[in-house]
Amino acid sequence: MTATLLQGNQACVRGAIDAGCRFFAGYPITPSSEIMEGMATMLPRVGGVFIQMEDEMASLAAVMGASLAGRKGMTATSGPGFSLMQEHIGYGAFAEIPCVIVDVMRGGPSTGLPTSPSQGDVMQARWGTHGDHPIIVLAPASVAEVYELTVRAFNLSERYRTPVILLYDEVIGHVRERAELPSLESLGVVERPQPNCPTEAYRPYGDGAQRVAPLADFGSGYRYHVTGLAHDERGYPTQDPRVIARLHERLHAKLQDGRAEIVSYEGEELDDAEVVIVAYGVSARAARRAVSEARRQGLRAGLFRPRTLWPFPDAEVNVLARSARALVVAEMNMGQIVYEVERCARGQAPVFGCLRADGQPLTPDEILARLVEVRAGEAEVSR
Amino acid sequence: MNTAARADYRRYLRLDMMPHILCPGCGHGIVLQAMLRAIWRLGLPQDQVAVVGGIGCSSRMVGYVDFCTLHTTHGRALPFATGLKLARPELTVLAIVGDGDGLAIGGNHLIHAARRNIDVTCLLLNNAIYGMTGGQVAPTTPTEMVSATTPGGALEPSFDSCKLLEAAGASFVARGLSSAPIDLEALIVQGIQHQGFSFLEVLSDCPTYYGRYNRLGEGPEMLQAQRRHVDWVAAPLADKAFVPGFADTAAVADVALQYGVLHRETRPELSEQVHRLIAASVGEGPT
Amino acid sequence: MEQGSILLVGVGGQGVVLASAIVADIALRCGFDVKQSEVHGMSQRGGVVTSHLRFGGQVHSPLIERGQVDVLVAFEWNEALRWLPQLRPGAPMIVNLQRQVPPGACRDRKSWRSGYPAVALDALARQVGDLRVCDALAIAGQAGSPKAANSALLGVLAPLLPFPESVWLDALRSHVPPATVTINERAFAAGRSLPFPEETRRHAGATRFSANGFHGRDESAPPRLEVIAVWCKGCDICVRACPTHVLALNAADKVAVVRPDACTGCRLCELLCPDFAIVVHDAEERAADLTAANHSGSEARG
Ligand code: SF4
Ligand code: SF4
Ligand code: SF4
Repeated sequence: MTATLLQGNQACVRGAIDAGCRFFAGYPITPSSEIMEGMATMLPRVGGVFIQMEDEMASLAAVMGASLAGRKGMTATSGPGFSLMQEHIGYGAFAEIPCVIVDVMRGGPSTGLPTSPSQGDVMQARWGTHGDHPIIVLAPASVAEVYELTVRAFNLSERYRTPVILLYDEVIGHVRERAELPSLESLGVVERPQPNCPTEAYRPYGDGAQRVAPLADFGSGYRYHVTGLAHDERGYPTQDPRVIARLHERLHAKLQDGRAEIVSYEGEELDDAEVVIVAYGVSARAARRAVSEARRQGLRAGLFRPRTLWPFPDAEVNVLARSARALVVAEMNMGQIVYEVERCARGQAPVFGCLRADGQPLTPDEILARLVEVRAGEAEVSR
Repeated sequence: MNTAARADYRRYLRLDMMPHILCPGCGHGIVLQAMLRAIWRLGLPQDQVAVVGGIGCSSRMVGYVDFCTLHTTHGRALPFATGLKLARPELTVLAIVGDGDGLAIGGNHLIHAARRNIDVTCLLLNNAIYGMTGGQVAPTTPTEMVSATTPGGALEPSFDSCKLLEAAGASFVARGLSSAPIDLEALIVQGIQHQGFSFLEVLSDCPTYYGRYNRLGEGPEMLQAQRRHVDWVAAPLADKAFVPGFADTAAVADVALQYGVLHRETRPELSEQVHRLIAASVGEGPT
Repeated sequence: MEQGSILLVGVGGQGVVLASAIVADIALRCGFDVKQSEVHGMSQRGGVVTSHLRFGGQVHSPLIERGQVDVLVAFEWNEALRWLPQLRPGAPMIVNLQRQVPPGACRDRKSWRSGYPAVALDALARQVGDLRVCDALAIAGQAGSPKAANSALLGVLAPLLPFPESVWLDALRSHVPPATVTINERAFAAGRSLPFPEETRRHAGATRFSANGFHGRDESAPPRLEVIAVWCKGCDICVRACPTHVLALNAADKVAVVRPDACTGCRLCELLCPDFAIVVHDAEERAADLTAANHSGSEARG
C-alpha cells in the first residue's frame, strides 16, 4: 500500500494503466476530460495507443475494435456522451466484447450542469441501451477506491467478457485527497485467456469456463464472426428461438453465477441499526458522517454502501430490511436506487429517500435530519 | 501476388452460410466476389484480413467471408475499423459500408477516417437507396428519383461521395462499377495496396427497390444502364469493351460520373505514426 | 361465421400481404371490425412473410394465439409445415404446392442438397381435417400470369368465409393493378370452383417428390461450367451477359447450360453472378480438381 495525493480522475488513469489498459479512445467532455488527457500522456509510455475520436459513439466503437484485436480498452465520458454511447454498450454486452466505460456523472438531463456533481445516471447505466442485457456497474466513493475499482473493472470485464461501467460523480472525479492505493498484487490482474482448440472447433459464443468462451484476438489465427444480430455459438446470425433463448440465458447466467465475485459492498454499524442508510459514491461519504453523528445522539443508524451497483446487492438489502425498522436511501437524483431498494425490501421495512438534484452534494446534516424525521415517523414513504 | 487467370476466391466463402441473403440480381454480390478476387490476387494471409461492416444489405455481406469479420452498428463500421487497425497495424482492414450507412448516419466517421488517413480500405456500395429497410431515400438518391419516402421524387440533391472524400483527405479515391468486375477487382487491389485511407465508391444496383420504384428493370437491365452513366478516366482501365454482352452504344448521360482512380497522394498514415510515437515514448517519464 | 382468425403465410414476393389486405378490406366492407398485422422482415430476400387477420363484431388483439387459427392459408409448402401448429384442430388449411427453397435451407455443402422438407401430402392430410391442396401457380398461369397465384388462393379461401361473392370481386378489382384485373378475376374464379376434397386427392396421387425439386449441382453442365443451382437465384444476369447464349433459366428459375459447345470460357457469367453460382473451369484446371477430389474424397466440383 502506498499513500499519495491524487485526484479521482488521475487515480482512474493509474488504475487503468496498472490493470493493463493499452488502448483509449475518447471525446472531450467535462468533468471527465482529465482521464483522457492523462491517458494521452501515459499510454504511449507503456506501449499503448491513444486516440481522440470524432464523438462518443466512435470512441466506444474504436475501443471495442481494439479489444477484439487483443488490447484492453477504455473510454471515459459524462452524461451527454454516455447517452450517445448507449447503442454500443448494448453491442458490447451482446457481442461480449470486454471494455471499460467511465461515466463521471454531472447534472442532467441534457447539457444540465456540466461542472456539478450528480448521481442521475445510475438507472441509465443499467437500462440505457435497448433490449435485455447484463451489465456490471461499479461505484467508487473515494480516490483510492477509484483506483481499486478501475482495476477491478478491467478484471471483471475480461473475466466475464462484458462491458463494465465505472460510475462516479464529479466530486469524486475532481477531489484531490490522500489515497492509500492497494497493491496491484492484492488486486490481481486478469489476462484474457486465448483458445487453444483447433481453429475449426473454436466457438466464440460457446459455453466456456464461467459460461464464457475465450475470446481469440483478431489476427491470432482464429477466424470468426462478431455481430450485433442475435447469433449462435459460432457468432453467425440466427432467428432460431431456441438458440436465441439459450444465448440470453447464458448472458444473464454468467453474471448471476459470478455474483459472489462481482457484487461488492461495505457495511458500517449495521448489527444493531434501527435505521439503515443505503448510499453510494460521494453520498456515502456524507452518510458516514451522518451515521456517527446520529449514534452520538443516540439514534442507532447504520450504513450500507454498495460498491457494485449492478448487479444490485438485492439479497443483502433484503436481509437489512428484515432487521431494521426503516431504510433511507441517500442519493443525488430525484429517486433512482431508492426504488431498487424498495423492490429488495419487499415490504419488510419502509423505504425513504433523501434526495437532492440541484447540483449540490448531500450534506451530513441533511441526511441526519432525514434520519431523525424517519425515526419520528414523520417522513413520507420513498420521498 | 497470385497471377493465375482464374482466381480461387471461393476458398474465402463461409460455405456453411451460403447462399447469401441478398435479393436476386442485387449488385452487391458481384462486388463481394471482386473483393475476394482482389484479396486472392494479393495473396494476403487469410488470418490477417479483417472485414468490418455497418448495417444494411451491403454490410451484411461481411458474414459470408471467412476472415476475421465484424458486423457492427449502423454507420459505425469505420470507428471499429480504426480501433482494430491502431491496435494491430499488421492486419489488412477492409470496411464495407452502404451509402446510407456511410454517408448519412456514418458520414461524420467517414470524413474523419479520411482525414486521419488510417490504412483502411473502405468500399462504399452505392445503390442510391436504403435496401434493408425497404427502399427509402438515401443521401445518394439523385434528385427527382422515387423512393418509399419520396413518392413524388426526391427534392434534395445527392452527394458526390468521391469529391467529398477527396476534400476530407482520403489519399486514395476511386470509383468502380459492379458492371465492370475486372476493373473493380483491379481498383480494389490498388486500394488495398495503398498506404493510407483508400475510398472506393462502387456503383451497385438494388433491383428490388430502386429499380422497381423507378422502373429501371431487374438486375440485368440495371447493370447495363450503369454503363451509360460513366466516363472512364484512368488509362489502364480504359478497355471499354470488356463486357461484350453489355456493349452499349447509347450516348453517355448528360452528367457522366468519373470512373477509375480519381485521386491519389502520399501522406503520413495514422497507425504508423501512432506506433512510431509509441516506440519513441516507451519507458519515458514516470509511469 | 360471426368472427374469424385467418393466418396467411408464405415467402417474400408471393403477394401474401396484398392478399391479406384484400381479405381485410372485404371484412370491413361487410361491416366487421378487423385487425391485421404482418411480419415480413427482409421478405424481399425470400424470407418468411406472415399475416394475421382477425375479424368479428369487435376484435381486440391483432395476433392469433397458437392453435386458434380458423383458416390457415399457406402460399408455400415449407411454410405450411412451419405454421401448422397454429391451426385450430379440425380447422381447414389451404396449401399451395409451390416450393421455394429459402437461402438458409442449404444444409449440405458437399452435395449442395438443401434441407427443404419433402412434400408428403398423405402425412399432412392425416394431421389436418380439412386439407385443401392446390397448385395456385399453375392455375394462375392458365389465367394469364403466374403473378395472379395469390388471387387463385383467395378463390380457394372464399367459400370458407361468410362474405358475398360480389364483395370479393369488388375488393379484388380495387386492389390489383388495373391492367391485370381480368387475369386476377380469372384466377380467382378458377380457385373458387376447385372441387374439394377431390382436388386434394388428385395432388396426393400425383405428387411424389423426392427430397425436393432441386438437387443442387446441375450434372448436365459441360466440363467447363460448374453450376451451383441451389445458390442460383434466377436473376438472369449471366443469361443476358453471355455473348454466345450458352445459358438459360429452367422451369425452376435456375440457371441451366443449354448450348455447352458454344461456351468460349470468357468467364463473364462467373464474374457477374451476384450469387457465386457459376464457376468457369478450363480443361487443365478441371483435371487437377478431379485428381485432388480423388485423393481427398472431398468436395472439388467441376
Ligand atoms: S433490397 Fe436491394 S440492396 Fe438489399 S439485397 Fe435486395 S436488391 Fe440488394
Ligand atoms: S464463360 Fe462466357 S461464353 Fe461461357 S457461358 Fe460464361 S459467359 Fe457464356
Ligand atoms: S447470374 Fe448467378 S444467380 Fe443469376 S441466374 Fe445466373 S447463375 Fe443464377
